[in-house]
Amino acid sequence: MKKTPLNLELQENIQHIKKKLGESTDIVIREIRIGKEGTFKVGIFYIDGLSNTPSLQNFVMETLMIDISISQTENEESPNSNLMKALKDYALTVGEIKDVANFEDLFTALLSGDVILLVDGYSDGLIIGNKHVIERGVTEPSAQSVIRGPRDGFSENVRVNTALIRRRIKDPSLWMESKEIGRLTKTTVAIMYIHGVADDKIVKELHSRLDRIDIDGILESGNIEEFIQDSQYSPFPTVYNTERPDVVAAALLEGRIAILVDGTPFVLIVPVLFVQFFQSSEDYYQRAIMGSLIRLLRFFAFGISMLAPALFVAVITFHHEIIPPALLISIAAQREGVPFPAFVEAVIMEITFEILREAGLRMPRVIGSAMSIVGAFVIGTAAVEAGIISAAMVIVVSITAISSFVSPTYDIAIASRILRFLFMGIAASFGLFGIMVALIALILHLTSLSSFGVPYMAPIAPYSASGQKDTFIRMPIWKLLSRPKYISKNSDRQKYSAPTRKDKKGADV
Amino acid sequence: MALGVDKIDDEYLVSAQVVVPGEVSSMKGGAGQSPVTLFQAKGATMNDAIRNLALVSPRTGYFGHLQIVVIGESMAQEGIASILDYLSRYYEIRSDFYLLVAKETAAEKVLNIQTVLERIPANNIFNILHTSEHRLSNTRAVTLANLIVDLEREGKEGVLTGIYIIGDEESGSSKQNVESITPTAQLKLDGIAVFKEDKLVGWLTDEEGKAYNIITDKVKNTLGTLSCPEGGKVNVHVDSLTSKLKNTIVDGKPEIEIDIQISGNIGEIDCEIDVTKEETIKMLEKTYEEQVEKNVNETIQVVQNDFQSDIFGFGAAIHQSNPKEWKKIKNQWDTEFSEIKVTVKAKVNIRHFGTVNNPIQENIKD
Repeated sequence: MKKTPLNLELQENIQHIKKKLGESTDIVIREIRIGKEGTFKVGIFYIDGLSNTPSLQNFVMETLMIDISISQTENEESPNSNLMKALKDYALTVGEIKDVANFEDLFTALLSGDVILLVDGYSDGLIIGNKHVIERGVTEPSAQSVIRGPRDGFSENVRVNTALIRRRIKDPSLWMESKEIGRLTKTTVAIMYIHGVADDKIVKELHSRLDRIDIDGILESGNIEEFIQDSQYSPFPTVYNTERPDVVAAALLEGRIAILVDGTPFVLIVPVLFVQFFQSSEDYYQRAIMGSLIRLLRFFAFGISMLAPALFVAVITFHHEIIPPALLISIAAQREGVPFPAFVEAVIMEITFEILREAGLRMPRVIGSAMSIVGAFVIGTAAVEAGIISAAMVIVVSITAISSFVSPTYDIAIASRILRFLFMGIAASFGLFGIMVALIALILHLTSLSSFGVPYMAPIAPYSASGQKDTFIRMPIWKLLSRPKYISKNSDRQKYSAPTRKDKKGADV
Repeated sequence: MALGVDKIDDEYLVSAQVVVPGEVSSMKGGAGQSPVTLFQAKGATMNDAIRNLALVSPRTGYFGHLQIVVIGESMAQEGIASILDYLSRYYEIRSDFYLLVAKETAAEKVLNIQTVLERIPANNIFNILHTSEHRLSNTRAVTLANLIVDLEREGKEGVLTGIYIIGDEESGSSKQNVESITPTAQLKLDGIAVFKEDKLVGWLTDEEGKAYNIITDKVKNTLGTLSCPEGGKVNVHVDSLTSKLKNTIVDGKPEIEIDIQISGNIGEIDCEIDVTKEETIKMLEKTYEEQVEKNVNETIQVVQNDFQSDIFGFGAAIHQSNPKEWKKIKNQWDTEFSEIKVTVKAKVNIRHFGTVNNPIQENIKD
């Protein structure tokens, strides 16, 4: 793209900027004169609200208008040649200063909140870093909370977010590369990885995928995710997102790459494995036994949330013989007055639940309690008493719903929600046989996925023995000697250091 | 839940005991109807009769949860092969339900009795079979699979447990039967029906039934009642019993040796003995050994002489250990069986006396 150079005349530049911005009312243009005699006409541009006005007055205006006029003498000898350098080197008491020579860069900087300084008679100007973003600050993550673990979460400001990660990994090999994506939004997208741990090929691949994006705006990391994910139409996510800095730090240490997008607290992590969606950062903060059991529980709950209604429908419709007689009689008694087949019943309940869940999310918080009363009452008691739904179905739908909230990441729960309906339909038509066939198809699908060249089902398929230490269970930290094999080529994570043990006499060894 | 099969004038009469779900559910009280209902239909074959149930029942029968099948005594005497074929051929029916023979009555009558505790009579019978087999070992819970294996196996014949109606058969069907403390009609397991091929040939008594279970090594828990030397009784609570069949060929004739190992505790003493002395225990053990041997021998004789049906599987044992010899004798096995010489050896080991030592009676007298 050809860039338009700045003009020499300050007035022309001002006119050009005004024209380009459509004389937007939040643009502040200040013309001042500096130097002993007021020799130089200087224009200062900034956007009201995006720039830090007090610091602008203190460190830019004051220096230019008062300090310079006093200590002008050394510059007067060669005023024309080096005013810019002089301003930069001596005058402006601001940390970040860059040169600008064309309008495109000027506008990007101006619109991100920097102050632009142009001098009459010079065809280049200065960008003075003076952004002032109104932000939420570092608060506790709302979607991924833990009992034990750090409480800080990412915020909307990418700088704050990178700082949160830097604070955790203080090593020069933590590299960061930035891009601007979005023709209009010019969103800052930062890629962070640990050089030497992350796979260079994946970094390169990520760059090429990001460079391919040509869109007017990126508002959330979800937009980026859709562009770079591997499986566009799979219900399973192949990009991980989190709003917890400790999760990102752990991922970076494993050799993954984080993608931070300005304007959202959700940071993307690639490449990602299927089992990663069942691993919570808390698994590693709790003791190994607890972490392992909880993790197994999550896999189990995932199974329930995907299959429970389908299994129930299949058994009720086709396979009475596998229910114990006493239970069958009880279920038969409940279903006595119910007019619908089990499948219709299940679909009604599931959809009702999905509506309730969605409504609960979107509704103003104040109405929440009223909503939950109505929901509980409609789903629970009333539907059963009215004879529309059998009580057993309510139990099944409830356990399904609760199980779907167990997953530490929202994304995988969505996959199970989608698949649940598919499985229910298959169960109603083909029974357990259908469910088995669908499960096999699902496994085929899962093994066919990959995330940035890494097999999605690793380390289960392809199998890696050392990977089993941290898949379904989590072995004690001191036993996790290597990094995930399929993610990082640099597997040397720690030297084996057995924990302190008592010898037979009871003394520490 | 339960099927009854009778044969009336060359026609099968099938009685299906069906649960009324609304009545047995724990949620609602129900309308005070009977917890089960009985649908009956006739047909030229078993299948025919079952299909004809559709003429009386508003819903298709579901046999996946069949608990018991009761066969009328007269039907059993004529042969049950046709029933077994249908039951094992139909895909919906599992093979783990129990079969019984209605003793001295028709199957439909047995299924027509209301029961207490287990409101569904089929479950009631099922559970009686279960408990009695575990606690008493006089009867035998025989599933369809067991029965077919027994009947089809060379040198083995089948048995079924009998079920008997105590009291007034006619009033058993009404709800009043379960409204009083003592029901006017009750079901009771009684004896073991001995089959030869697929036909009922006779009945074993309770004691003989126990002997049958001892020989076939199926005793889980039982009681032995012994007489004391000076009158009175002692009970031995048997908690482990194993028996082994050994066969030898002597002069071309097979001989069977039954080795029985019993261990148990004293359950009750109703006479004056001093159980703290080793001789007493030895004596009791000896008495019990003799008693078991006698019971087993008598039972074998009854079966050999009266029924000529090898329900103990002596033939199968020979077949297994000595197939060559079996080939020679299998064609005239029925006569061989009734002449076969059986030696019974029992070994009893009494280990504990319960929570007291010598009988209470002794102390009371002091």
